[in-house]
Amino acid sequence: MSQLGKIADSVDQYNRFVSAEVARARSDRKFAAELRARWAALRASVAMTRSPTGTPLPRLALPDTDEPGAIAEYLFGQGFPGQFPYATAAYREMYLDHETGTGEEPMRLFAGLGLAEDTNARFRYLSRHQKSLRLSTAFDGPTLYGLDSDHAGVLGKVGEGGVAIDTVEDMGRLFAGFDLTRKDASVSMTMNAPAPVILAMFIAAAKRRFGAGCVANLRGTIQADMLKEVQAQNEVIFPVDASLRFLCDMIEWCVPNMPRWYPVSISGYHIAEAGATPVQQAAFTLSNGFTYAGLLQARGADINAFGPRLSFFLDCGLDVEYLVLGRVCRRIWAIGLRDVFGAGPKAQILKLHTQTSGRSLIAAEFQNNLTRTAVELMLAYMNYTNSCHSNSADEPFTTPTEKYALLASHGQSILLEESGLFRHTMNLFGGAPGLLALERQVEQRILGVFREMDTLGGVIAAMEQRYQRSQIQESGHRIETQIYSGERPVIGLNKYVSDEPMPSVPLARTSPKKQRLQVERLRAFKRRHAKTAPAALQRLANVARGGGNVFAELVDTVEVCSLGQITACLTDVVGKFRPMV
Amino acid sequence: MAVAPNPRRATRPSGVPRVPLRILTAVPVCDGHDSAVTTINIELARHGIEVIYLGYHQSVSAIARAAVQEDVNVVGLSSYNGGHIIFFKEVADQLRRSGNGDIPLFGGGGGTITKADERIMRRQGTDRIFFAGTPLKDIMAVIQRDYARTAKPGVKFKGDRTLARAITLAEQDLAPRRPPRAAPVRPRGRAFVVGIAGPGGAGKSTLIDELTSRFLRQSPAGRIAILANDPSHPGTGGAILGDRVSAIYAQDDRVFFRSLATRSSLTGLSAAAPAAIEILRQSGEFDLILVESVGVGQESDPFGSFGRARRLTDAVLFVLAPHYGGLIQLQKIALLNGADLVALNKCDHPMARTAQAEIQARLNQNGRGQVLHSTTAARHFDPGVDALFAAIQALGSTRGRTGGAR
Repeated sequence: MSQLGKIADSVDQYNRFVSAEVARARSDRKFAAELRARWAALRASVAMTRSPTGTPLPRLALPDTDEPGAIAEYLFGQGFPGQFPYATAAYREMYLDHETGTGEEPMRLFAGLGLAEDTNARFRYLSRHQKSLRLSTAFDGPTLYGLDSDHAGVLGKVGEGGVAIDTVEDMGRLFAGFDLTRKDASVSMTMNAPAPVILAMFIAAAKRRFGAGCVANLRGTIQADMLKEVQAQNEVIFPVDASLRFLCDMIEWCVPNMPRWYPVSISGYHIAEAGATPVQQAAFTLSNGFTYAGLLQARGADINAFGPRLSFFLDCGLDVEYLVLGRVCRRIWAIGLRDVFGAGPKAQILKLHTQTSGRSLIAAEFQNNLTRTAVELMLAYMNYTNSCHSNSADEPFTTPTEKYALLASHGQSILLEESGLFRHTMNLFGGAPGLLALERQVEQRILGVFREMDTLGGVIAAMEQRYQRSQIQESGHRIETQIYSGERPVIGLNKYVSDEPMPSVPLARTSPKKQRLQVERLRAFKRRHAKTAPAALQRLANVARGGGNVFAELVDTVEVCSLGQITACLTDVVGKFRPMV
Repeated sequence: MAVAPNPRRATRPSGVPRVPLRILTAVPVCDGHDSAVTTINIELARHGIEVIYLGYHQSVSAIARAAVQEDVNVVGLSSYNGGHIIFFKEVADQLRRSGNGDIPLFGGGGGTITKADERIMRRQGTDRIFFAGTPLKDIMAVIQRDYARTAKPGVKFKGDRTLARAITLAEQDLAPRRPPRAAPVRPRGRAFVVGIAGPGGAGKSTLIDELTSRFLRQSPAGRIAILANDPSHPGTGGAILGDRVSAIYAQDDRVFFRSLATRSSLTGLSAAAPAAIEILRQSGEFDLILVESVGVGQESDPFGSFGRARRLTDAVLFVLAPHYGGLIQLQKIALLNGADLVALNKCDHPMARTAQAEIQARLNQNGRGQVLHSTTAARHFDPGVDALFAAIQALGSTRGRTGGAR
């Protein structure tokens, strides 16, 4: 039995425990009295506030009951916010007061286009209205595949769909002018196969600007989720075992050296974008997370040290299951980590980033995408996501232009700061009968997928048998078929279609002149380091061959070598990934 | 194995031509968005088309090389992360420059390719762009209407396209299917031809790719050819020929890779395979030719190991994985008697140790001195594959062929 079977069993066992506690609360007077006393203390701890129109409100909404069974059901089944099993929320107050500057600001706006200075300008534009520094980076295709901008045949892709980063100098330009050591600064990077190289460049660039002592203060997240790359997103360079080794090397280095950094963001986003259902998204993402925890434990790492540094990233679309997906995932993760991995409270909390669904957006009558994204944002925040990105309406046809990126940002501000939905009271929605019914169904279906993968030998064995890929593809085809048949309405595409031609809209594209400039910069860097690069690459190859920590070496290698040089060096040592259909 | 109905008699959607169209599909370099292309692939195959799928993150040269070697009617590219104007132009240019400008190119990219882009791309050699929202059935109708034509027999091509074209003609019955058996053509050229058979899922394709990498490393100038046979769908006559996706070492000009759909043949090979082998052998281009059969059953004999007629290949490699189902099943596999080389692949599996002993005992019964090779092709730099490749070379030299070293 792989760990997935045990985890599924542990969740069922926990559910039986909750039922037993509810029964005990109703039959055991002493226990009932204890629960009532605890409940009274919790309720007394909730401060009152007033809406702008004068309505008194508690800062935290709790079930209005004194019945011991209902209290037990809430405390054990859902969890007080910030307490096991964390279905309600990871922390007690989440977004309350963030508009006054004291709470945590959840908005992250993913941006990346052209060369480093173009993305830097976009960061400045987007962060004008944010109180804290939130820089979330999208990279172009060559960077995502570990190739240099001067690699044969990639010139047209340079700076398209994200920023082109070849060297530590590009990384310096990307964040120029931003104080990354500020306590409220947070940088995130959507980067996977070459993540160790890119994070090493980030560290090296930060050291150049803020001194060697800055590393422990750097806060942020790098995606680096190789399992979902193999299952869905297809940006894989090295064979699976080598990819996982490089990732674990990076995590092990970051845990002691970068205590504020999340070195992996276990992602369902791309799994869902490739066509997975919400249940499949959650099941594959959580099972990937449990797999990383198992791999790190097997290497001797301490779950209570690395567990709190794992983070998660889910897609939020328009299907009804998205009403509860974050809640269900937090609960399964917490139970699995506590009861199967033996983790303490800090490691049990699933920290969640959410992005609205790109797949749900369409080019036809694209302004409808503003509404789609708004609905998805609402669902994401109802799940108390820790951070959130909202897509731009123009994404079906272009890297977001300034206008629509700003509208996407304002969408979040309207929801969180202008509307009263999340400002005054925490947990306005939790415990609604519909949500509870959905939660139970979704949870059981996720456990069903766990058990199916367990019979295949666990996540990696299932992956080698193409299980996740074929499941995702099948669901993707079903969505397409449902759209073509009209069973799944898409306004403006298969329903209420207008005959208006597509308006001409501005596109964000990178000019050939800029693409050539990037190549010139890269070549100048390579010329300057032509003497030192071969020895640095040789040292890296030796570490990779000898089984040492590759990440520790990369932090030095990137000083004189480009991304493409490093990728080629590591490929020589470990080989290339062989794709699956 | 169930007897499949003859696809030529099976009902097909109307308008499906007797000779299936061959289409190469791929996603451009630095782009991993394969959701749309996999949907299109399935739909094309459902319409009786043979789809040669190359995969995502494919370079201009890999696409052009595959289009030439597969001699396709048309190339379809699915691009979702930008740079399409330059990329499509480079594919069209490379095909034209190599004398293969007759192969048209179409594409799609959801909303990312605009009408304005399309006008530029059409000027620069792209035949057509399918925009977001085009129903699949309209796409299929256009493809069947506009891309059924191929070059007429007699048109002169250069390089690999000559070989590819000859194989296509053999597939279309416009050339002799098989050299007359009574008077076998004396093989010319130095190629050592190895047929590779084994049950589906044994890892034949991966093993062949790893053998290709050994060949390329050890033979700095030679060329290798691979004929990959894959089944056609018995109902529609279409096929998704996906062997190129995992053939990462085939992306080299010294590799000639051709996918063959079995069409109506139930022998484990395309009916055109014998002719294709002769075309490759007699070209004098290749040192080693590997012919992969479809996944075979216990009685199968795709390369004629037991008949009186001349064997199709110089040697036969039989590949199996540890899940063969026990000793009795092993006794029934005819090719374990006929094969010159036997490999147990997936030796990282826990059942492999038992399998090694059982298969070696089974081979010892034959009294032919057959040695079992243990391989784990999915592992890079596997020493078992090294040993198997050395055995192929040794066998080739005893049969007077080069098989590798040049």
